Amino acid sequence: MKMKNILIGVSCTLGLQLAATATSGTPDLFALRVGSAETVSHGTIPHAVILIEHGKIVTIGQDLEIERGIPVIDRPDWVAMPGFINCYSRAGMTSFGSNGTVPSVQSSTEFYASQAIYGDLLDVGVTTLGLYPPGNGIPGQAVAVRTSGSSAQDMILEDSVYLKMLMRSNASSKKMIRKAFEEADDHKEDVEKAREKWEKDTEKWEKDQKKKKDDAKKNEGSSVKPSDGDEDKGPGDFVEPTPNGTAAAFIDLRKGDLSALISIRKAGDYLHLVDALGEEDFDWVLRVPLRDDIDLYEVADQLAEDKRTIIIEPRLTLMAWTMRERNLPAELSTAGANVVFVPNGDDLNSHKKWRFHVGHVVKRGMDYQSALRAMTLGPAEVLGLGDRLGSLDVGKDANMLFFSGDPLQPASRLEMVMIDGEFVSDEVVR
Amino acid sequence: MLSIILSASVLGTAPTEIAQGADTYQGARPLTFEHQPTDSPPLAILCGRLFTMADSNAIFDPGMLLIRNGEIEYVGKPVDIPTDYEVMDLGATWVTPGLVDLHSHIQSGDWRDTNDMVMPTNEVFSTRPAIVSSNPNMRRACAAGVTTLFGIPGSGTSISGFGVLYKTKTSASYEEIVLADPGGMKVAQTNNPERDAGDLGATRAGLSWLLEEVNDRAIEVRDQGIFDPTLDNLRRIQSKELPVLIHCAGSDGVASTVRMWRGTYDTRSVLSHGSFDGHHAAAYVAKMGMPVNHGPRTFNMTYGIREGRFVNTSKAYTDAGVPNFSLTTDASVIPQEEFFLQGTMSAHFGSDPYQMLQALTINPAKSFGIEDSVGSLEVGKDADIVIWTGDPLDPRTSVESVIIDGDIQYSRAEDGQWF
Amino acid sequence: MLLKKKRFLTPAVALVGAALFTAPILAAPFTIEDAEDEEPDAYMAVQGGDIYTGTGEILRGATLLSKNGKIEEIGYNLYLPKDTEVVDAKGLRVYPGLVALSASTRMSLGTFAPGLEFHEFTPHNEFEGVCGDCGKSLEEIIPPALDPGETTTEHLAVEGIKSDFDDSYDPFNGYLVMALGNGITTMQQSTTALKMLRGRIDGVTMADKSMTSFSWSGFNPSGKADLREKFRAGNQYLIDLRRWQELVKKDKELKEPSRKGIDSRVLSVLQGETMAKFSSNDRDDLLGIARLAQANKFRPVISGCVEGWIVAEELGRAGAFAIVTPRTRSDRSEELSRESGSSIENAAILHAAGVQVAVVPANTSVDLGGISGRDLLHLPIEAGFAVRGGLSDKAALESITIVPARLLGVDHRVGSLEIGKDADMILCDGDIMHYQTFVQYAIVNGTQVYDKEDEIFYAHIRPRGEVAVDPGEAVPEAVEAE
Repeated sequence: MKMKNILIGVSCTLGLQLAATATSGTPDLFALRVGSAETVSHGTIPHAVILIEHGKIVTIGQDLEIERGIPVIDRPDWVAMPGFINCYSRAGMTSFGSNGTVPSVQSSTEFYASQAIYGDLLDVGVTTLGLYPPGNGIPGQAVAVRTSGSSAQDMILEDSVYLKMLMRSNASSKKMIRKAFEEADDHKEDVEKAREKWEKDTEKWEKDQKKKKDDAKKNEGSSVKPSDGDEDKGPGDFVEPTPNGTAAAFIDLRKGDLSALISIRKAGDYLHLVDALGEEDFDWVLRVPLRDDIDLYEVADQLAEDKRTIIIEPRLTLMAWTMRERNLPAELSTAGANVVFVPNGDDLNSHKKWRFHVGHVVKRGMDYQSALRAMTLGPAEVLGLGDRLGSLDVGKDANMLFFSGDPLQPASRLEMVMIDGEFVSDEVVR
Repeated sequence: MLSIILSASVLGTAPTEIAQGADTYQGARPLTFEHQPTDSPPLAILCGRLFTMADSNAIFDPGMLLIRNGEIEYVGKPVDIPTDYEVMDLGATWVTPGLVDLHSHIQSGDWRDTNDMVMPTNEVFSTRPAIVSSNPNMRRACAAGVTTLFGIPGSGTSISGFGVLYKTKTSASYEEIVLADPGGMKVAQTNNPERDAGDLGATRAGLSWLLEEVNDRAIEVRDQGIFDPTLDNLRRIQSKELPVLIHCAGSDGVASTVRMWRGTYDTRSVLSHGSFDGHHAAAYVAKMGMPVNHGPRTFNMTYGIREGRFVNTSKAYTDAGVPNFSLTTDASVIPQEEFFLQGTMSAHFGSDPYQMLQALTINPAKSFGIEDSVGSLEVGKDADIVIWTGDPLDPRTSVESVIIDGDIQYSRAEDGQWF
Repeated sequence: MLLKKKRFLTPAVALVGAALFTAPILAAPFTIEDAEDEEPDAYMAVQGGDIYTGTGEILRGATLLSKNGKIEEIGYNLYLPKDTEVVDAKGLRVYPGLVALSASTRMSLGTFAPGLEFHEFTPHNEFEGVCGDCGKSLEEIIPPALDPGETTTEHLAVEGIKSDFDDSYDPFNGYLVMALGNGITTMQQSTTALKMLRGRIDGVTMADKSMTSFSWSGFNPSGKADLREKFRAGNQYLIDLRRWQELVKKDKELKEPSRKGIDSRVLSVLQGETMAKFSSNDRDDLLGIARLAQANKFRPVISGCVEGWIVAEELGRAGAFAIVTPRTRSDRSEELSRESGSSIENAAILHAAGVQVAVVPANTSVDLGGISGRDLLHLPIEAGFAVRGGLSDKAALESITIVPARLLGVDHRVGSLEIGKDADMILCDGDIMHYQTFVQYAIVNGTQVYDKEDEIFYAHIRPRGEVAVDPGEAVPEAVEAE
């Protein structure tokens, strides 16, 4: 495989002593010793040693001793951090969506693995993508994929990671959400009705059976006997009616089996969204494209109070009607909302510059650790993969990036990318 | 109580003589109005607050005016009125000079004969043949206190032609209303004349070249003493005999206009509009000593650098210290009769209201060199007088009567309220 | 339900809502949950200002006390309950909030700042649209602010979405703030009367469909005949119905008159549910409308009414309402020997004849292009032109407060400062009809929603404390000449 061959190259150029398995690619067990590691979950570890086994992190700590015999890659000039995760993307997807409510649509069905863009994104440090379905209204469910692999089977991490919805300040948009929940209610009623009917049927059947038995008793001795073919098996076990696609998705939402990503455009939409949702209680995150004149600061307090996760670009915006700068990512994050970043666009270049844009927002006041989290663990949680990806923690996938310095400094180079414990490329985009 | 004593002949008009310069090209002969002795008796006006709008900034409360032969004979505190005068005792009214608007297109009614779009520069054109004297728009303007207008062609071409300075008498012929013909030239420097027809003048570079080319030829004619009928009016601009009004907008347009007409050429140029974010170049305009005739837009909110607030562009120019600030309607972009409202709204947005009165009267007159005749109430000037029921800037105030060249042109009591 | 939404409810409105449902709550056993929902009464006192009640007295240096968004008391030496929020109005004039008729829907739907198209940034190739069907964004459907064209919900409906202001109101939009900054607290959007709330979306709609539009035009004689017949038939039906209602008490077999063929819109007018609105300027049309109204006993609302001054007496006798733009200008027709065209005295003459006059500006949208004094933001300027034509200052104020409130069917709540009405008011630094006056504060439902100092738009113009002077007092070094 491509990756394995590359590793030979890597180990040669690095001049490292890799024990035993050099010919068959990355060893099953090896240690990394780096200058520092940004764990995201528990701060920076200087002189970090990370032990990786079968593509998972098994140990991480400062100046740990490495057991003799374990191959060591020693790069004191590197800074390690978790792989970038873009949880809201259409990269490599081409189809156009429908309108209206089609929540059962799975964007995994349009996922086509063999596309150069995924390899390219991996090269610039994006190890995981959340791919959402296209369209208006409630267009369907997103899929989480790793950017390495050659088949869908290989790449798809998890299906149905979130249900996408669009919310605008208008009656039809609000009605759409209410109606979808109503369908879930209707289904519940249908189930109850079906159960009632089943119970009635069963009762009747049992009565009939009893009557038959009694009749049979009465007729005992008569020559007429019921034939085997006439035997009545009754209604049997209760089978719940199958919900339609909308009902199914919204039942899952209520049950917590599915979360939602709701895209809005302005502060006013948020009030209407909260109004439309009423007392419905389910997990949802907010997506707001940061346009120049976005007025999201109007609801910053509410977003913070709700501890809302909000997916935005790392951009400085303008205060409405003016050309005065506002740092919404910093404002929202400081207020207490959970900021998650997406690149400015779905093209390769936007992903390449992603960390620079985040760096700019940090330079203008956003908390450094929050910013790192917004590119890693934050999006991993949006995809429901927070226990598996997004930070350098024991048990997590060894998706790692190695920089020549501070990852958010433009002068730092991305030296190496690792996905599931395997080094990726020697053609690292600088 | 208001009482007006009139002799019947006051409404008659004074005979007019056309002064002709023998050595001037006939097509561009200057027409000037000279007051002649009339049969009308001299008039005395007693009023409340009298704004002279003279350099002294004198206000008389109460005030008095004496008028003879269409000219002001006395202005000041009430004194004994000689016996032969008709007396208008106007009580607590406010009196100002007639308003002067330097950018008006109502000479033929509404938006007629504005742009001749064949040639990019039309320095031989004049609005003279397009004037419909005492048309309804002029009459209404008069009833709102606007007495002097510079009637000009549009801004479709770089030089759209020469305009006529005239008065808004309510029933008069062309000869009776004209104050100066030609009164000056109209140039459109940026925006509107930018033609996308694929010919010369599609860009600002092309437009500038067109203007410079024709101006340079006029200078050549001037310096060599050649008589060229097609360039003679432009020669008079370059000889500072006549003023030129230049349409421009935006800070870039304002700057390039000032640079050309005050820097490259030394002309009696007046900057017109200067709208949108043109006020950002106000300091440069002030430094180059160019008068500004501002309007119809008097605030900026959305153009250029967005400041997020209502920027009073009138105030931006006056604060920058431009040598002469006046207002305009660009009628009928804003109806001519609402000229005063340009001062009103500027004052609303923070301008000094007296300064805005100046911008409606004496300042435009000065910037066009007609302050000897109009723009203020001073002895020897034309008796163009507006009598208001109160503050002229207040829309609730109405005009009691308007006198032009000593004759009552409009009287609310006699004619009914026109505006 | 209430608990969930509480965040967006001020205490005031929560209680107004509670008050409305008092009866069922009293009937039900009192529970602890109910007690948790209860908020303390919210009091606000506007203290020491000159209170122009609009319909009644002017109280100098008085205090207005509101409780839970409603006016509780107006007077002197009022007892202020504990925790009353006090607004110092000393030196200010307190007026009822202005009511804007036919306002552009941009005011409530909002858009981002104009000029955005030059800076717009499309982060993703997202296929995002505002409506389920048309795939267009709100900004695409509603033209940007640079286009002063009127946007109505009808227009939106054509584009494929149904807009309901309760579901589309943008309580953060800048136009709203500008309108508040110019004294407007109630506006008509399409057929709806909206309360201009900030930062919240509940309780926005005050009334809907107070007027029914009819066409009456000299260009369509058969349409006039049709309408006349519809009203005649409608009236006849109502007479028959009333007669039947009496007779059926004795004779239960009697058949109810048939409603078949009776125009329901006409019926809504004749039964007093809505007002009949006409758009008409021509003298003959105005006369026709007046006669139609008198014959059928309804009070017409006439928008435009440019030649109303010529037939003011007839319109007065018909009890008409007129929605006028005093500055409207149309020349006298040279072909007619009779009076024709506009008159600056229109509003005054109509008012003197008993017509209720409402004033709308020439442009009922917000014009940010640089020409001012003609758009929705300057209602008092437009009303000032009515005063120019002879209307009293008081009637001019009514023309932009209580009269439009009556037309919208919300005069029991807004349009004047009276006990029991909504505490919607503006605090001005001078005579609202004067051109130098600015709104310093706006209060809606007893909550301050605008403070000139705190908003970007006008704070820099005559900062608080700076006094406007008239041109006579502002003279630089005035010299008294001999």
